[in-house]
Amino acid sequence: MKLKKYLTLTKAGIMESLQFRLGTFVMAVGNLLYLIVVYYLWKAIYASAGSDTVNGMTFSDTLIYLVLATALFNFMEMYTVWEMGRSIQSGKIVLELLKPMKYRNYLFWTYSGQFVTNFFFTFLPTFIVVAIVTHGAVHMGLNLLFFIISVIMAISLNYSINFLVGTICVYTESIWGINIMKQVIVLLLSGATIPLAFFPEPFRTITHYLPFQSIYNAPLSILLNAHPEPEELMVTLGTQLLWCIGMAVLSKLFWKVSLRQITVNGG
Amino acid sequence: MGIIEIKNVTKEFRVLNRREGLKGSIKDLFSRNYKTVRAVDNVSMTIEQGEIVGYLGPNGAGKSTTIKMMTGVLEPTSGEILTNGIIPYENRARNAQEIGVVFGQRSQLWWALPLVESFKILKDIYQISDENYDGMIKLYSSLVDIEPLLHKPVRQMSLGQRTLSDILAAFLHDPKIVFLDEPTIGLDVSMKSKIRTLIQALNREKNTTVILTTHDMGDVDALCRRIVIIDKGKMLYDNDIEHLKSFFGSYRTLKIRTGGELKEQAESIKKELPDFPVTADDEWISVLVDEEKSKVIDVLGQLQKSHKIKDMQLEEISTEEVIKKIYEEGVA
Repeated sequence: MKLKKYLTLTKAGIMESLQFRLGTFVMAVGNLLYLIVVYYLWKAIYASAGSDTVNGMTFSDTLIYLVLATALFNFMEMYTVWEMGRSIQSGKIVLELLKPMKYRNYLFWTYSGQFVTNFFFTFLPTFIVVAIVTHGAVHMGLNLLFFIISVIMAISLNYSINFLVGTICVYTESIWGINIMKQVIVLLLSGATIPLAFFPEPFRTITHYLPFQSIYNAPLSILLNAHPEPEELMVTLGTQLLWCIGMAVLSKLFWKVSLRQITVNGG
Repeated sequence: MGIIEIKNVTKEFRVLNRREGLKGSIKDLFSRNYKTVRAVDNVSMTIEQGEIVGYLGPNGAGKSTTIKMMTGVLEPTSGEILTNGIIPYENRARNAQEIGVVFGQRSQLWWALPLVESFKILKDIYQISDENYDGMIKLYSSLVDIEPLLHKPVRQMSLGQRTLSDILAAFLHDPKIVFLDEPTIGLDVSMKSKIRTLIQALNREKNTTVILTTHDMGDVDALCRRIVIIDKGKMLYDNDIEHLKSFFGSYRTLKIRTGGELKEQAESIKKELPDFPVTADDEWISVLVDEEKSKVIDVLGQLQKSHKIKDMQLEEISTEEVIKKIYEEGVA
């Protein structure tokens, strides 16, 4: 009964996103264009490197990784910072604060419908195409189960980071710069645009101590590693879990403090 | 004990003192020069279940800030607020279950979806039972013609239809209190009256407490028995509307435009109607009529005999005038 309260928001989100059929189509085309650019870019990089493997990854390894990373990005990415900023600027947040549930939950569940549509319209098709085209580069076994667990934690972590950054808008009342900065940092340090293996050594070590790699690098490495060492798997999932909890607590606290600052614009 | 209890509530905001021009804007980036603005200043009131209270004041008087404190969005700087016996800002989600809100030009409805979907979502969010939900929809259909609205996407609605829908949405979970913040803003006369009738009916049927902020004295006249007036954060008046009326009389301003030189016409009207204050500006000649003593229509009839009236307007006394008069003369 309690869950229904939230799932109805998921349903509304799905219905809303299906209202804009053309938008879904344009996004699919844009996605395809991006992948074409990625393909030629990395083809050129490998050609200029003069060897088949760069940083321990072959061209097809890299490409499979990046195609799946893009699919995962399209599926998981949330525009929470943007939404929060706009709500705060316009003062519309007052209506969202007055729903009979916590704002953090309301925002997440309102957005969750997008996960469902994005999963079926972007992630699943890409995944199937990659699985067929590469003839078994993606192992279909227990790793899929761990992948799903990892993705769920990644979504939660990603949301916490977004919510944390979005809360800054309470103070700045501007979004653009903050959003772009967050976007760049997450995309780069999470392994969503460049595999972390390509980073120079000290830099790569740093990324391992940051939360971002738990968003994209962790689930992808679980998916692509057919026979992982149990120990390695536990470390990856454990790190994710710790970041998940840590960031959730931090973002909740920051919101609680900031809410007292809120002025609510307009009228 | 009232459904809403407000005791000595004050709300202050800290605002940066902005300087002028580009140079000033750059300096502001590093400025620590804040000033404190007192938006609500020591306000107290008690509101009983089932009342419709008109909450009036000019723009920036602190009306919306008070409402945001009553709903729990803002925390008062000092003083106490209790709604339904709980402190709203500490129990926002629980308080939200018992209140409904309509904020003038903002909609809480799901923009892309037909109205009925918004209702169903609200039904789940507020955990309304099937029985209560059906009862409410039945009540709504007896009050307004909602069938054509239910299946229309909200984004395709006119402002009037959308406001009407928003009001229905706010009452859907049968809240104890509904806050209506300028619900009739920007609406035409027939829609205004439709909305007033609706609010009145819902208040009567469900014994819902309604807090109504507005600039439109027409809204107040039609709906409220009690009014509270606030200006610059301070409470000026809290009493029956009848009391205020007995003080002001029921004045209306009759504005006419006549043929010929405006000044001359105004002079001759002044002589004709020695009992009425007559003023003239560039476009209109205004006659202030106390409806308890004489009817506007009679005055108009009298004027029509001697003047060629090209155009006329009838104006209610405005909130601004009421406040001005309270300042000048005071209300006991």
